[in-house]
Amino acid sequence: MAIDDSGKTATLKPKAKFDFFHDERVRSTAYQILTACVVGWSAWYLITNTAHNLEVRGMNTGFGFLTATAGFDTDFKLIEYKPGVGTYGRIFLIGCINTLLVSFLAIILSTVLGFAVGVLRLSSNWLVARLALAYVEVVRNTPLLLQIIFWYVGVFALLPRVKNSLDLSAGAEVAFLNNRGLYAAWPVLDDMFWMTIFAFFVAVAGVLLLRRWAHRRQDETGKQFPVLAASIALLIVFPYLVYLASGSTLNWDVPKLQGFNFAGGAALPPAFLALLVALVSYHAAHLAEAVRAGILSVDKGQTEAALAIGLRPNKANSLIIIPQAMRAIVPPMISLWMNVVKNSSLAIAIGYSDVVALFMQTALNQAGYAVEMVGMTMAFYMFISLSISGVLNIYNKRVQLEER
Amino acid sequence: MSIVKYKKTAPRDAPLSETTFIGWLQKNLFSSWVNTILTIISLYIVYAVVKSLWFWGIQDAVWVAENRRECFAISKHGACWAGVLIWLDNIFYGRFPRDELWRVNLGGLLLVLWMAPLWLPRVKDKIFIGLSTVFLYPFLAGYLFAGGDKGIFMQVMVSGAIVCLAGNTLHSILGVMSGRGLPEVLIGILRKENASDGNQRNTLLVILAVAYVIAYALQTSWSVMAVPWSKWGGMHLTLVISGIGITSALPGGIVLALGRRSRLPVIRVLSVSFIEIFRSVPLITVLFMATTMFPLFMPEGFVLNKLVQVIIAVCLFSACYMAETVRAGLQAIPKGQYEAAHTIGLGYWGMMSLIVMPQALKHMIPNIVGSFIGLLKDTTLVSIIGLFDLLGMLRAISQDIPWRGLHHEPLIFGAALYFVVCFVMSKYSRHLEVKLSAGGER
Repeated sequence: MAIDDSGKTATLKPKAKFDFFHDERVRSTAYQILTACVVGWSAWYLITNTAHNLEVRGMNTGFGFLTATAGFDTDFKLIEYKPGVGTYGRIFLIGCINTLLVSFLAIILSTVLGFAVGVLRLSSNWLVARLALAYVEVVRNTPLLLQIIFWYVGVFALLPRVKNSLDLSAGAEVAFLNNRGLYAAWPVLDDMFWMTIFAFFVAVAGVLLLRRWAHRRQDETGKQFPVLAASIALLIVFPYLVYLASGSTLNWDVPKLQGFNFAGGAALPPAFLALLVALVSYHAAHLAEAVRAGILSVDKGQTEAALAIGLRPNKANSLIIIPQAMRAIVPPMISLWMNVVKNSSLAIAIGYSDVVALFMQTALNQAGYAVEMVGMTMAFYMFISLSISGVLNIYNKRVQLEER
Repeated sequence: MSIVKYKKTAPRDAPLSETTFIGWLQKNLFSSWVNTILTIISLYIVYAVVKSLWFWGIQDAVWVAENRRECFAISKHGACWAGVLIWLDNIFYGRFPRDELWRVNLGGLLLVLWMAPLWLPRVKDKIFIGLSTVFLYPFLAGYLFAGGDKGIFMQVMVSGAIVCLAGNTLHSILGVMSGRGLPEVLIGILRKENASDGNQRNTLLVILAVAYVIAYALQTSWSVMAVPWSKWGGMHLTLVISGIGITSALPGGIVLALGRRSRLPVIRVLSVSFIEIFRSVPLITVLFMATTMFPLFMPEGFVLNKLVQVIIAVCLFSACYMAETVRAGLQAIPKGQYEAAHTIGLGYWGMMSLIVMPQALKHMIPNIVGSFIGLLKDTTLVSIIGLFDLLGMLRAISQDIPWRGLHHEPLIFGAALYFVVCFVMSKYSRHLEVKLSAGGER
């Protein structure tokens, strides 16, 4: 209770008055409404401008072009397409498949090479470690686009002509490399071959079951089972037996020199090879650094403790060190995979028909529809990136340290 | 019973592997048969690479020739560096008029002069110097590079930049020589050490105003020939694009990162979607979007030139990557710092600008240098959409009639150039990382 000048009593309230301009909720709502208005207005401004411009220039809009026929051809495609018959939708599909094909191969090869180089970086052999370091530094500090162009115009374009092709199979004449690309024998599957493929999947399932069984047996009895050798045997022997039993025959489509070029077999254009080699070497160097950092991040005490409880050095590596290092390696590795997919778009510089070169450049120049085509291409990359980062999130949740 | 030795045992000799070269070889190169094989393979690789590079690049190389045919006539298996040497000006300056090259050089020199004080330990007020580099230098350099008529805005900014540059330089020289700053020295000369703070400040403002008027008067009489942007190229263009990209990426990245960590859902959702959209697509699609869709976005009749379109695209793209760098820096600041800032009564902006950001920026410097390296490498993509940056110029050599088909030499030269720049910067950022983290561990 307090007594003011007038003599009346007044209660001191703990600031009950609602101060409109200094209330946090009002302020935060106001900020948000303001931001939403600014963003909404800019979006509206851009959209109306675009609509107006499209109308003035007489450009067509809408996705109707996807079913219209496209009049140009592409040199590399995995699915059926004929110029003048195939549609723009088909062109988009070819582009996406080409991007995914080169990215998929580059991801697998760069992961293998990256791990190898990362381990070599830590080698006790001074010279080997230095050599790996030199490779990593040179590749990481020059632009990828420059490397891609170098591989294309500096290496693959200088290969011998078709007549003097290099025989990669050392005289067996099943794989040739020349300045028009790589030609290799390709299996032709007959009607019964599905049984062999089916058998392979059965074998994979068998391996998984075997691993679980071996694990449980070791937990219960302490006895170990040679899982790796048994799995490899299972994976090879079982499909092979089925292949023999089903009586199917496997023929090889061998490339043959006919006139000025090879016919038959599988062919990969030089642009594809240059892109693949450049992507693999570039991302392997980046991955090598991540692998090295991951292995070094495991405390030395872990190795010592593993040896102290009597594990052999290679068991200590495979059971103690590598699982812990993987926790630090996998997140940067997955974001590198994402970069592989994104960087495969540099194919446009050397004319490999990926989704950017085929759809966003050639098709866009032919048909217009800038907004739709750029939007579809971006949506494709966003879909891939979001899927990969979804995988990463699941992995992170699974391996997160259980903090006490 | 005990055994007692009265004589001190002599220390054992150091193991051979630590003292002799042969010992070192045995330990590091030939410790086991696997290692021996690896060493021999590596030695062979080194030998092959060094030998072929030596013979191709130096021993059999041609340094002076008129065209590629002449190169072949002189040496069939050597590099033809003559083409690269003749194009050297183009590689560095693009098609900038040859009589005006001093402007590009001066622009570079001014940047060095402006930023050099940041590395001098005795100079004070480095934050101000850094900020003035970001906000004023671009106008001075922009005028030097583009030239032509100065609008009123350009005149104001250029004179500001001149005053600032002169002030910075004087300030740093005084700082290095006497350890005092420019304002302190000026006050001392005018014998106002004992005047009130307000008086001192007014005096300094008057001096600043006088200097500004002088600079303004000087720059009105100074003008240089206009050079259209299409003449820019080579290394100069690469550095302009990546320089603008990285300086605008930092403020943009900070705003986006704060937005991403905001408690306000609308702002957070907008920031996250903006960042994720740009981070999940390749730069080349953003560049294509810029060149094909920006003209549609703008009101009718408003034409942006290609360089501006590309720069806007690069800025948006790098801001989104920078936002993630900043976010990582912010996450490294312990929660206690935020709480302490609130406790002493700071609001959101006070807390961020005085407490959190200075600490976070310190953590981020190595990563910022890393992003700059990345951006420098990524700017090569502008050559795909038809700008003649460094890579564009290198490729143009092989289209030039006397040098048609000269691919290897320019590309290797360019790779070496990029390598030197990027390697030096990345080593420097490693050094900074070690230096900055040394203060944190007590």
